[in-house]
Amino acid sequence: MHNARRSPHPSRRTVLGVIGALSVAGVAACSAPGPASTSGAADSTPTAVSTSITTAPVTLKLYDGQGLKALDDALIAAFTKKHPNVTITPTYDPDNVTTQNQPRQLASATPPDLIRVISVTSGTKNNLLTNLDAYATAYGWDQIPASQLAQFRAKDGVAGSGSLFAKASGFTMTGLYYNKKLAQQVGMTTPPASVDELTTLMGKAKAAGLTGMVVANKEGGGVFPYQLLLNTAMGPDKVSQWVFNAQGATINNAESVAAATQVDSWNKAGLFPQAINALDANAADALFAANKGLFFPWGNWDAANLDKTMPGQVGFFPMPPATPGGKVAAMSDAATAFGIPSKSQNKDVAAAFLDFLSSDEARQIAVDNGFMPTGLASQPAPTIKPGSVLADVTKAFAAVSADNGQVPFVQNATAGISNQAWTPESQLMLAGKSTPEQFVANVQATYEDELKR
Amino acid sequence: MSTVDGLTAPVDVADEVSTASRRRLARRRGGAGRSSLGSGARWAGWLFALPALVMYAVFELYPIITAVQYSFFDWDGVSVATPAGLDNYTRVFTEPQLLASIIHAFILIIFFTFLPVLLALVVASIVREIRSKALGATARTMMFLPQIIPGAASAIAWTWMYSPNGAVNQLLTALGLESLTRAWLGDFTWALPAVGIIGTWLATGLCTLLLMAGIGKIDASLYEAASLDGANRIQQFRAITLPGLRQEIGVCITITIIAALASFDVVFMSTQGGPGYATQVPGVQVYQLAFTENRIGQSSALAVVLSIIVLAVILPIQRFFREK
Repeated sequence: MHNARRSPHPSRRTVLGVIGALSVAGVAACSAPGPASTSGAADSTPTAVSTSITTAPVTLKLYDGQGLKALDDALIAAFTKKHPNVTITPTYDPDNVTTQNQPRQLASATPPDLIRVISVTSGTKNNLLTNLDAYATAYGWDQIPASQLAQFRAKDGVAGSGSLFAKASGFTMTGLYYNKKLAQQVGMTTPPASVDELTTLMGKAKAAGLTGMVVANKEGGGVFPYQLLLNTAMGPDKVSQWVFNAQGATINNAESVAAATQVDSWNKAGLFPQAINALDANAADALFAANKGLFFPWGNWDAANLDKTMPGQVGFFPMPPATPGGKVAAMSDAATAFGIPSKSQNKDVAAAFLDFLSSDEARQIAVDNGFMPTGLASQPAPTIKPGSVLADVTKAFAAVSADNGQVPFVQNATAGISNQAWTPESQLMLAGKSTPEQFVANVQATYEDELKR
Repeated sequence: MSTVDGLTAPVDVADEVSTASRRRLARRRGGAGRSSLGSGARWAGWLFALPALVMYAVFELYPIITAVQYSFFDWDGVSVATPAGLDNYTRVFTEPQLLASIIHAFILIIFFTFLPVLLALVVASIVREIRSKALGATARTMMFLPQIIPGAASAIAWTWMYSPNGAVNQLLTALGLESLTRAWLGDFTWALPAVGIIGTWLATGLCTLLLMAGIGKIDASLYEAASLDGANRIQQFRAITLPGLRQEIGVCITITIIAALASFDVVFMSTQGGPGYATQVPGVQVYQLAFTENRIGQSSALAVVLSIIVLAVILPIQRFFREK
């Protein structure tokens, strides 16, 4: 029976050889992957735009992440109520999958009419996104505070200024949550006015057996306090330019090292939780909710949750400046930045939806869903339940907006920088395996390496 | 002992079936008219294989070929690709983090292969001795359970057990070994072994099952004769069990080494490669390069290198365990 093995079958080596030969042939025969050339430039910059939309039935497709479903659904309902002839069909992907699927959605032959814009520069590089300048002029979006739109502008492949390519449905906001009861315990009556004051309060918390600042770094949460300090140390403009990949931008400088050194010294002083590199965001939430931590650097997305689990017990303030009375800043980007793909057939209607995003009605919807409203400073403020932590967050956002301190997240500077540099390098620093100098130098090296390719 | 041929058994069976059916087919055809249909019969065999061949070509060969093709380009997955020559391959071997991830994969072999095979040998020999059928079946089921649970799910469960207040540290504290407790997955020294233990837990069941099946095939009279000759358990293990299981051990080692070198789910769900770069492995790197960084060419190059490494490790092992 074993002779069967000797029957005339190709040996493994032959099979491998054939596969190898096929692969080489495949490489030689096929042309480069991807489209033959960049196309779609023809209609990516419309000039004849209309602000009065059709009354004929029209269906728009919308693409966003699952986490934004509640907000988007409410916005769609309100918009389609105003324009009954418009139907908007949303598609939501799990949030961690949107990064992977959005470029494919955007590049498809029949893209959605409204799409979550993750990277303005990669969308403009291939002429896949509609230039919204004509709509901005027609609708008067130019009146909106500059820092609300700067993130969605791009020119020559660099974001931050130039033509407009997206508009936000609302904004995120970051800063420091604090436990009101524990604050009282350490004698904090008003939010700290300077970083030194903050450090003193954290020291008192530690002396009382508490965690000064709840930082979880398994997923890179340690970058939060660093950037909150960096925003004011380096100034919002310079940090934004770095995130937008402006020519020659660097974070390998004295201000950045100072911010990292501050975080490092807080960690070495035992003001952060033990086992910081093993804690994830859920563990941090649990630690804070257990009344064991005084401060918690995090964002608006946790406000609704904190209002539910610790009603009336949590406050929020922006990271204090280095010296009392200085300007405040915060990481704050779009809930969703909606853009219109170049290949959309319903640009006027899609633009009307973008305009609706800064209407009074939409602003109230944004706040109801825990986001900061976009629009003019002169518009009436949305109503928020007084005493809720969201009211504090919105107040902090207004302060940051007034100081023109909205800064994009440093993790979004390049596609790979969060995974390849911020998270691992912050873990190395907070484990005492690298210095603040090495931390910023290594991140900068990865940044330059990725942009060079 | 020639019947104990676990490793090649599936191949043999397939060969025998196909040869037999071909012969049968030829015979039947021959009865109908050998001269006119002789050459048709040869092609009929390929016709039967066609569905499988098409699936193999579309879902195995084509992706392999395109991956090799992509690896010579700098491509973001959307726009025009630019030829990159061998740059992507040069980076695999010059970028310290990519190289380190390959080394981590080899360290994982200790946990994914050596430990499970050793444990499985011990367990299988003990279970062989269990006279009670019900007890033996229970033991088999218990050992195989981890294999049923998806790797991603067990990684999440282990993440909780490894957490600072998790089961592992609770157990150590209860045993009075409080000094050993640590945040296992957040510890630069211990994260990789901790991830490896998850792999040990996953692979031991499969190896045990395979080895128990192999032991079942060993002639019981051999053990009887050996014990009459006065051989003790360890001598019996070395002289009968081990040689008898040669092929099964080969299968275990092959499967688990591939699992170690190409590991993805366990690492991705438990540490994502952290802390720092301590548990980064090629499987996770391939994913991150392709899907979060949109560097399809670099990702494909690493994937091709990984495949070649796996083949280079597996082929000699296959040969070793096949030799008599």
